[in-house]
Amino acid sequence: MQRSVLLALIALVAISCNQTVKSESETQEVDKTEKIVSASIIELLETPVEYQDKEVAISGMVTHVCRHGGQKCFVVADDGETQIRIVPGGDIDEFLVDMEGSTIAFKGIFRIMTAELAAENLENYASQEQHAVEQSHSSAEKAEYYIEAVEFKEVSP
Amino acid sequence: MNWRKLNRWIHRELGFLFFGMTIIYGISGIALNHHIARHWDPGLITRSTIIQYPETLQKALVDRSTIENILELTGEEDNYKQYYFPNEEHLMIYLKGGHILVNLPAGSIQVTKIRNRPFFSELNYLHYNKPKKLWTWFSDLYAFGLILIAISGLFLIKGRKGITGRGGILTIIGILIPLVFLVIYLWL
Repeated sequence: MQRSVLLALIALVAISCNQTVKSESETQEVDKTEKIVSASIIELLETPVEYQDKEVAISGMVTHVCRHGGQKCFVVADDGETQIRIVPGGDIDEFLVDMEGSTIAFKGIFRIMTAELAAENLENYASQEQHAVEQSHSSAEKAEYYIEAVEFKEVSP
Repeated sequence: MNWRKLNRWIHRELGFLFFGMTIIYGISGIALNHHIARHWDPGLITRSTIIQYPETLQKALVDRSTIENILELTGEEDNYKQYYFPNEEHLMIYLKGGHILVNLPAGSIQVTKIRNRPFFSELNYLHYNKPKKLWTWFSDLYAFGLILIAISGLFLIKGRKGITGRGGILTIIGILIPLVFLVIYLWL
C-alpha cells in the first residue's frame, strides 16, 4: 500500500514537472515570437541603437553577394538606394550568387560593431579593389551596422 | 617488429589510404590560394560580352520598355529577374545565371553570365567542409594521418641522407620558410 502511494506520488511529481517544462517552453516560444521586430531597412538605419542585438525581420532585393565565400550580401531598401549588409549566422554557411536580383526575406540579429571592429572593417574595405557596381553598396559595406541572418527565404522571383 | 619497420609500415599504409584526400586537398588548396589572392575564382565561371545600345540612356527615362529592349537585344528575355540603379550612371538588370550592367551615358551593355565551375566546385565543397557531419571526422582523421605521414617520413632513411644529415637540414629549412613569412608579414 505504502509502495503504491509512493509510486503514485512520484508519477504525480513527474507529470507536473513535465507540464511545467512544457509550459515554460511554450512561454519561451511566445516570448521569442514577440521579440522578432519586423522593420524596414530605413527604419533600422534611422535608429540603430533601438534595434541593437534584437531579432529583426526584413526583406528586399539582394543587390550583391560577395564572391569570396559568400560571407556577406547586400539588400536594397524600398528607396532603391539605402542598403544593408547581411552576414550568415546560425546554420547558414554562405550566401549564393544566385540570390542576386531576388527578393529575400531575412530573419536575424541586428548588430552594431564595436569601434575597434568598425575600424578594422573600414581598413579591410579600403584594401580591396572597388568596381563601379560595388560602389553602390559601399556605404553598407563600410557601415558598422549589419544583420546576422539566421534564416532566409526567397520571396521572388 | 622493430620501430623502423613499424614506421615504414605506417608511412606506406597511410600514404596509400590518403592518396585521394591529399590530391583533393592539394588541388583545392592551390585553387583557394589564388581565390584568396583574387587571381581566379575556382567556384564560378564568369563570361562577359559587351553590346552597344542604339542610343545613350538617362536614368530618368529608363522604363519597362527600355528594360524589354535591352533584354531583347541581349537575348535574355526568359532570364529576367529584377533591376535597379546602383548609381546615376548605371543600370543593373539581374538575370537567372548572371546580370546585365548598362552604362547609361555610354549606352554600353555588359552581359555577364555566371555558372558553377565543374570539378573545382566539388573539390572546394569538400575542402571547406560544407558536407559537415561525417565528413568532419573523416577529414580530421586525414589531417591526423597527414601528421603521422610527415613524422614517419622523417625517419624512413638512416645515415647522411636521413634526419641526422641532409634530411635534417631540409626539415629545418622547411620549418624556417613559413616562420620567415610570419616575421616579415605578420610580426614586423
